[in-house]
Amino acid sequence: MSTTDERMAARKRAEVERQALDAIDDRLGSSSFLRSAMDKIFPDHWSFMVGEISMYTLLILIITGVYLAGFYHASNTVVTYHGSYKPLDGVKMTDAYRSVINISFDVRAGLVMRQIHHWAAVVFLAAVAFHLCRIFFTGAFRKPRETNWIIGLTLLLVVMLEGYTGYSLPDDLLSGTGVRVVYSIIESIPFIGTWLAYVIIGTTYPGENIEPRLFVIHEFLFPLIIIGLLTAHLMILWRQKHTDFPGPGKTEHNIVGSRLWPQYTLKSAGLFMIVFAVLAAMGGLIQINPIWIYGPYTPYAVSAGSQPDWYVGWLDGAVRLWPHWEFRSWGHEIANPFFPGILMPGIVFSIMYAWPLIDKRLYHDYAEHNLLDRPRDKAARTAIGVAAITFFADCTFASATDLLGNNFQMPFERLIEIFQYGAFVGPIVAGVIAYKVCKSLQLSSSHPIKRPTGGIIIRSAEGGYHTLGDDHGAGHGADGRAGNGHSVDGHDGDTVGADGHPGDGQGRPDDEIEEPVVAAPAPPAQESGPS
Amino acid sequence: MTLGPVTLRAVDHRVMPRRYSGPALVVALAAVAFSVMAFSAGSGSAAEPPVSTNPADIQAGDALFTAHCSSCHGNNGVGSVKAPALINSGAAAADFYLSTGRMPLAEPGDQAQRTRPFFKPPEIRQLVAYVNALPQINGQPNNTGPTIPSISPVCDTSGGAGNVADAQKGDYGFEGAGGQGGALGGHGPGPCTTLAQGLQLFSLNCAQCHDASGSGGMLSKGNVVPSLKDATAVQVAEAIRVGPQPMPIFGPRELSDEQVSAISNYVQYLRKPADRGGLGIAHFGPVPEGFVGIVIGLFIMLVATRLIGTRE
Amino acid sequence: MTTTNEPATSHRDGSPVVRSDLTEGPYPEDTPPGQDDTWYRFRNDPAGARRAELRIAVCFMVTAAASVALAVVYVLGGQPQAEGALLFFAFTGLGVGFVLWARDLLPGHDIAEDRGDHSGSETARQMVVGALNRGLDPMMERRLLLKVLGLAGGVFGIVIAFPIASFGERPLRTLYHTAWRPGLRLVADDGTPVRLGDLPINGIMTVFPEGVTDDNGLAASQTLLLNIGDLPFKVYPGHGDWSPILNGQRYVAFSKVCTHAGCPVGLYNRGSHQLVCPCHQSTFDVLGRCNPVFGPASRSLPQLPMAVNGDGYLVARSDYTEAIGPGFWNRGDGSNGVKPT
Repeated sequence: MSTTDERMAARKRAEVERQALDAIDDRLGSSSFLRSAMDKIFPDHWSFMVGEISMYTLLILIITGVYLAGFYHASNTVVTYHGSYKPLDGVKMTDAYRSVINISFDVRAGLVMRQIHHWAAVVFLAAVAFHLCRIFFTGAFRKPRETNWIIGLTLLLVVMLEGYTGYSLPDDLLSGTGVRVVYSIIESIPFIGTWLAYVIIGTTYPGENIEPRLFVIHEFLFPLIIIGLLTAHLMILWRQKHTDFPGPGKTEHNIVGSRLWPQYTLKSAGLFMIVFAVLAAMGGLIQINPIWIYGPYTPYAVSAGSQPDWYVGWLDGAVRLWPHWEFRSWGHEIANPFFPGILMPGIVFSIMYAWPLIDKRLYHDYAEHNLLDRPRDKAARTAIGVAAITFFADCTFASATDLLGNNFQMPFERLIEIFQYGAFVGPIVAGVIAYKVCKSLQLSSSHPIKRPTGGIIIRSAEGGYHTLGDDHGAGHGADGRAGNGHSVDGHDGDTVGADGHPGDGQGRPDDEIEEPVVAAPAPPAQESGPS
Repeated sequence: MTLGPVTLRAVDHRVMPRRYSGPALVVALAAVAFSVMAFSAGSGSAAEPPVSTNPADIQAGDALFTAHCSSCHGNNGVGSVKAPALINSGAAAADFYLSTGRMPLAEPGDQAQRTRPFFKPPEIRQLVAYVNALPQINGQPNNTGPTIPSISPVCDTSGGAGNVADAQKGDYGFEGAGGQGGALGGHGPGPCTTLAQGLQLFSLNCAQCHDASGSGGMLSKGNVVPSLKDATAVQVAEAIRVGPQPMPIFGPRELSDEQVSAISNYVQYLRKPADRGGLGIAHFGPVPEGFVGIVIGLFIMLVATRLIGTRE
Repeated sequence: MTTTNEPATSHRDGSPVVRSDLTEGPYPEDTPPGQDDTWYRFRNDPAGARRAELRIAVCFMVTAAASVALAVVYVLGGQPQAEGALLFFAFTGLGVGFVLWARDLLPGHDIAEDRGDHSGSETARQMVVGALNRGLDPMMERRLLLKVLGLAGGVFGIVIAFPIASFGERPLRTLYHTAWRPGLRLVADDGTPVRLGDLPINGIMTVFPEGVTDDNGLAASQTLLLNIGDLPFKVYPGHGDWSPILNGQRYVAFSKVCTHAGCPVGLYNRGSHQLVCPCHQSTFDVLGRCNPVFGPASRSLPQLPMAVNGDGYLVARSDYTEAIGPGFWNRGDGSNGVKPT
């Protein structure tokens, strides 16, 4: 390994590196930043990488999107198709639709790029949603990370719209119908709806401007916003550092994980490649949005089973479930789609934006937190989150009433009724169940017999466990944490710790605790509790 | 002009009877001529006689009808409280309902759905002959219904040659359209239909219920819109003319025989469309796509993170 | 139990690994003493390291091989499934290789460090407030300037947004009218005029005003023509002659644009005589003059007043007598002043 040659080479390389760094540092003075950046520590719990999946799918979306933009014609001009897909030969269609058909059939590697792009969008939103859930259920949005919660939610909103505009670009029968519905939803907004709809597409529906304007929004405006917000999101993350799950050796004031360079860099690059691999396989092997089968959009034709992509499904479902109410008086009208299409998501997002504030009130907890909650320890929050997910799921499934009806031989009237009740009953039932489960988990895990006697459990790089500073042996290791009362009390059940408070097994262990105890290792005492 | 395998599919092997009358005769003769030109051997199905008017067949059909149908549809098909009269339903309706297994119906009043045909093809021929003869039998010779439609073949649209598209036609072109000459390239004249015609007509008249991919849907009152993935061209054409409830009826003034052929041929194409992108996942659109994206795509990625990251 | 100063980063056998040089670096808070920054999984196991190296090399070779195949596929004209599968192998090779490399042969495991303090000191905060007020204090004294600036900014802010109006014309009355005019024949999508008698009982057809070809006109004017036979049809007072009858068969025509969200209401259930919208399952009872009977729609589909001209063709008596399609803010009761002739 360390032959003379290699040592020589290493020395030479070091010299070159040094020269390069000197050149940079003389001008930018960046060695301090580089040093801290490369040494930066990233906790590598798997669930922290879901945000990375989102980021990498976004990167893939940008790469494939730029490629597709090279072939897409954002034009509603009517042309006649004479390409290689015979069933459309001689059919009149918009230039936009023709260009996407050409991407799918005549551009080499075009279809695989298009399908990777579409699958990436589907997975992107799923990863973002999962990431959001992780942040919510572990309380990672608490002080000081409220800003990033708000930025993240804004990102979610924008990427949903970005996905929707992308879905609309091919101008096929399916997406055209989607545009029609959204036009109606915009029209239904009180006061400004009519004008807003006209400003967006220029005239009555459909006009000549839809694809050019959607393209500018999809390809320029929203990506700009997304990249800007994402940069802020990451910079704030960088500045505040990751949260971490409580565990032996972890405190509010330290952070445990891999260094950015070299280990985490390669791990993360590996994840990027794997994400790309999965999307490439899907893009090549599983067909998505076969617009040549849907045919070109004509405003007076429609296909059964017209659904949006899954992440807009909850809105489409809500629009189906909302009863036939609308309000007309004084020469004005608040049309039906406004309530489920604008008001409901508005309320949902408002609650989500306000959640850090609500959470503070709920738990009387205004302190700073770097260690995460275990969902079971915050039963009320977890129950509310589960209820919200149930509501989204109910609405999402409701957007497939016709498909479900066809497959399960059930009248859609009945299905819609079921989902209407489900939207109210489902969240309540799921929330109560989640609450009870959390409570029983709290109780069972704080059972005195299961309480560990002590020792810090270290998970070594090989994946094994051993115990530090305690001679009770490694036997407690694996179940040591599972047996914890909660978050962090780990090794010292007999000293004042999070569960030193009487009766807290029932609930809000961290309320008055500034710093979950860990008398363990690490840097000597930071007593500056949160202000 | 060469007819490909799909065109052959369009010609139903079991029931291809024709009533040679008026313009339909020209269409049918031309179709036969083309078929014979393309497949001098092995295209016998196209030469089968039309709806049988053979008294023996009608008699056999009468026996079958009395045994299996008359309990609901009444003697001589005059109908009853349980089921409608069949006097003017025509050969098309009889052939459609029987060859798709929709009749006989277990429970009168249920929506008839496609299943394994109860009768064997010869029996269906006999029953069709009998239903076709019902107007005469009941003394209402003018009260006739639609007869079994004939399907014009698909035009050869591969006029051009020598480009990349041609080289890959099997990939995503219509597999039946693999032509050699360009004599009738493009929208060739004569009694043939293009898939493009079919696509447009299907999109305007059929897709709203049957889905643009023909995978079916849902109507009100629990009425299911069937998938078209099992329907033969003749059955599709019959359904258009007959309007098997709850489906509306499309008469000859609205859709010409040629247009019906175009739709039927396009539906044959939809049974196995160009899935250039890979697995078609049932052509049900964004719902299964979202499901696959989350359950397969995100799931595999999450498994990857579990392997890359720590799990404690 | 006793606490320990053992870092969370000793390895394998539990023996603390002695840190080398970096503890003495310029950022002592970054690397607590006692942590080994150069240890990796196979550092003390040359044979294992060799095997790991080979494993990773195989991964990268997969990528190289898949890339060559990918090039061949592309040059031969491309094939989506082959491209997808080969891209999968190429990326997987890289990805798994990187991860294994990081896991087995690179240092950086389970390092613990101080988070540091991301917030500023009390002094710093005071200084910021001071600096801020250095400007704000004298600015706030100039009340007049502030008021006039507010006025100017407000007016300018509004005016500068005017160009947004160029994006769309004013809605005005366009949403209340379609292209139907008295005497215009009903034509099919291919332009063929429709006669009374063209539809069989339970037949349905999408029709348009003759001569209209632009998408906006077609989109707003699309109409469903149905032959409902001799079934009882709920005729409104004065609307009796809107739906011509031939041989006892009544023809009715309704706007095809859903009054809920504007989708074409295409599905016709001839068993129950209901029109269903495929988007949100609004259901309309044709015999009840297309009043909504299920789903989110709350208004009937407007009926097109029809007549038969001298040649037997169906014609419109007038435009729809109310705004078609989904509701909008200034729709009011939807009346557009049209009176059928």
